Amino acid sequence: MSSAITVRDLTKRFDKVHALTDGRLTVERGEIHALLGANGCGKSTLSKIVAGAYAPTSGTVLIDGKEVSFRSPRDAEEMGIALFYQELSLIPKMSVEANIFLRREPRNGVGFIDYAKMRTETLNLLAMFKDAIGDDIQPDALVADLTPGQRQIVEICKVYAKNPSIVIMDEATAALDGRQVKVFFDILRKKREEGVSTIFISHRLDEVFEICDHATIMRNGAVVAETAIAETTTEDVVHMMVGDVKKAPKRQALDDEGKKPLLKLEGVGSNLLNDVSLSVAPGEIVGLGGLQGQGQSTLLRSLFGALPITSGTVWLNNEQVAIRKPADAVRRKVAYVSGDRGPDAALPGRSIFENLAAAILVSEKRKLVRAKELRPQLAEVASAFKTKYARMTDAIGTLSGGNQQKIFIARWLATNPKVILLDDPTKGIDLAAKADLFALIRKLAESGVAVLLYSSEESELLDNCDRIAVFNDGAVVTELSGAEMDSFHLTRAAYGEA
Amino acid sequence: MSDASSNMHSENAGFSLGAILREPVVLALFAIIILLGIGEAVSPGFARGDQIIKLLTVAALLGFAAAGQNLVVLAGGEGIDLSVGAMISLGAVIAGNVMDGANGGILPALIAAMGVTFIIGMVNGLGVNLIRIPPLVMTLGMTSVIQGGLVVFSRGIPSGNAAPALMNFINQPVVFGIPGVLFIWLLLIIGMVFILRATSFGLSIYAVGANPQAARLVGLPVKVIRTTVFGLSGALAGLTGVFVIGYTGNSFISVGDQYMLPSIIAVVIGGTSLAGGSGGYIGTVAGAIALILLQSVLTTLHLEFWGRQLIFGGTLLLLLMFYGRQKSARI
Repeated sequence: MSSAITVRDLTKRFDKVHALTDGRLTVERGEIHALLGANGCGKSTLSKIVAGAYAPTSGTVLIDGKEVSFRSPRDAEEMGIALFYQELSLIPKMSVEANIFLRREPRNGVGFIDYAKMRTETLNLLAMFKDAIGDDIQPDALVADLTPGQRQIVEICKVYAKNPSIVIMDEATAALDGRQVKVFFDILRKKREEGVSTIFISHRLDEVFEICDHATIMRNGAVVAETAIAETTTEDVVHMMVGDVKKAPKRQALDDEGKKPLLKLEGVGSNLLNDVSLSVAPGEIVGLGGLQGQGQSTLLRSLFGALPITSGTVWLNNEQVAIRKPADAVRRKVAYVSGDRGPDAALPGRSIFENLAAAILVSEKRKLVRAKELRPQLAEVASAFKTKYARMTDAIGTLSGGNQQKIFIARWLATNPKVILLDDPTKGIDLAAKADLFALIRKLAESGVAVLLYSSEESELLDNCDRIAVFNDGAVVTELSGAEMDSFHLTRAAYGEA
Repeated sequence: MSDASSNMHSENAGFSLGAILREPVVLALFAIIILLGIGEAVSPGFARGDQIIKLLTVAALLGFAAAGQNLVVLAGGEGIDLSVGAMISLGAVIAGNVMDGANGGILPALIAAMGVTFIIGMVNGLGVNLIRIPPLVMTLGMTSVIQGGLVVFSRGIPSGNAAPALMNFINQPVVFGIPGVLFIWLLLIIGMVFILRATSFGLSIYAVGANPQAARLVGLPVKVIRTTVFGLSGALAGLTGVFVIGYTGNSFISVGDQYMLPSIIAVVIGGTSLAGGSGGYIGTVAGAIALILLQSVLTTLHLEFWGRQLIFGGTLLLLLMFYGRQKSARI
């Protein structure tokens, strides 16, 4: 009998980026199969090709031994493949049942929606989770009124409402609490007995070892190993995910004596952060590591006053501070650079000068702009950064992405910041610009600035940070320094195996 | 981002003649010249110096009202002030009653009219930014409230008179055959350009209009700025009201209504994006003059009131279709 899914020699190129160079996967009927790998290893690309969301550049996908080529997720759905969407696909202003049966509403004889049937089937689906949620979710409740965990359960119900034979669960447990996970795993096991195949993607290795039968491990766009879970250990799996262990370059240890922290957090919490304590000395670059979306960006934005902090204390220069809005942070010489420069930094249609001057106007509480006086000053910070532009009066959009990002960083340098918060600052910029950027950040640190750096690329953290605080689920799970600063320890900590 | 930047690139690349001709300010200037030509052809003497001064006086009144509208639109967030017309009426009625024909009452009238309309404008701004009522709904609602209030206050009877000095200032030449109101307009133009280009507040208006989130993330008080522009729009409408009563002599409670739609059209013809964040007052000035000229040409063509309304509305729609496309490319 042929396997439920066989994938061979799959590749996928986005423009010039090879997201997938060697995709292989074999999933049997009635099996729970883990797909593992670090950020950006290609596992999402592989699963999206199987689900019909992407077309492969080359390679074959066999379902039950028959070759298929999906042109859309609908094609895949018709073959019995259902994908759990990591970025929730529910429509907030519609009811639970309407969401679950969206586009596939049961019809009665005349072709109208059969609401009674829809209600019963929704209740049946929700009943799977009865042990975890009781009757908490009503079919006619609005999705907007549900908690994140409840929404995730609705999303899971939506997947099973399609009666799939193959299910891709991409981080399906991310928002579930312990009891909900347990019930969810019972469901997965029951479906396994019914012959449903599950591709399970999770950043919690303990879950993988609890529920999965086999694992396919990926690194840098290629599959590096396939193994039965019973025959491996978490240690081995992390090694396979990481490959050659990358060590941080040796850096002279900071003279801790007499260096009081410039920025200190004690038990900082909010709805997305949990008891974060950290300190950064002047001259230090502290990295925020871990998988994407574990609270690193949230922490940086909260420190900048763009998101609320509900508990704990923040000390700046030994002074307890309450930063409630970005203007408070700016006036205390805290700078925030976002990697999402489109929504977070660019003033589209405005001149390079205006884009550069934005922060200094706030930090110096200027009333008049005095362009004649500001222009040379701003030109100087921009050139310290090797920013290429023709005239300051040109629109910001005339610059390349990397040069734009330099402008958005230079706007902060003009304010002489004491603390710089970098939120994945190199997203989408070229290597030369990245090198310029990190050289400048190191120089700033040497001049006594405290830097907090989050990057989605772990090599950036390892290459540039003095210490790395690893985040999981809104909390710092461990802090790496010295000999532990390598990709193995970083990955292991990120996957909660500290 | 790369899409957006390439679009912006092509939008700003070089200084080709075609690009200059597509500049809204240049277009408006062209319209002014063509309209003057048509007017002169239909009715010789149309483009004579004293006629032009008269036209500019009328355009100045629109220019004052459109200045506030301009600020509200620039600050973005679908900003628009539909209460400009009612505010002008309110300013005129307040000024008329405070002055009541006495020259000594001009200054108190100015203060009272602009003070009240500033406060009402701030209420608009607070409704939009704190309670998050869409600007369109908020200012339209405010229009009804003001109009209703005016009916109650005046019982529908025109009341109050302009002081003679004010009427002379608006209608009679002060120097070189130019009435005082045009000098005030010149001051306003200089003031607006200075504020928008040389003050932090001005640049903040553009920043908030171009990208409110980025503006917030450099520490700009987005809501304060967007509230203040409504206050300023109110005060400028109040000022317009004072000049309007100086122009007409006495006030009636719907005297400002005719300014509401033109104040928006002038801003749009002048090249200010309805999405906010780009444009300026010089364009609006050109837009106001072009509009008044258009109106005047239509009058010489003996078009009825409804015909003029039709053409105003049509012009606005046409321009929105044209600029609306630019907007999607810009963001």
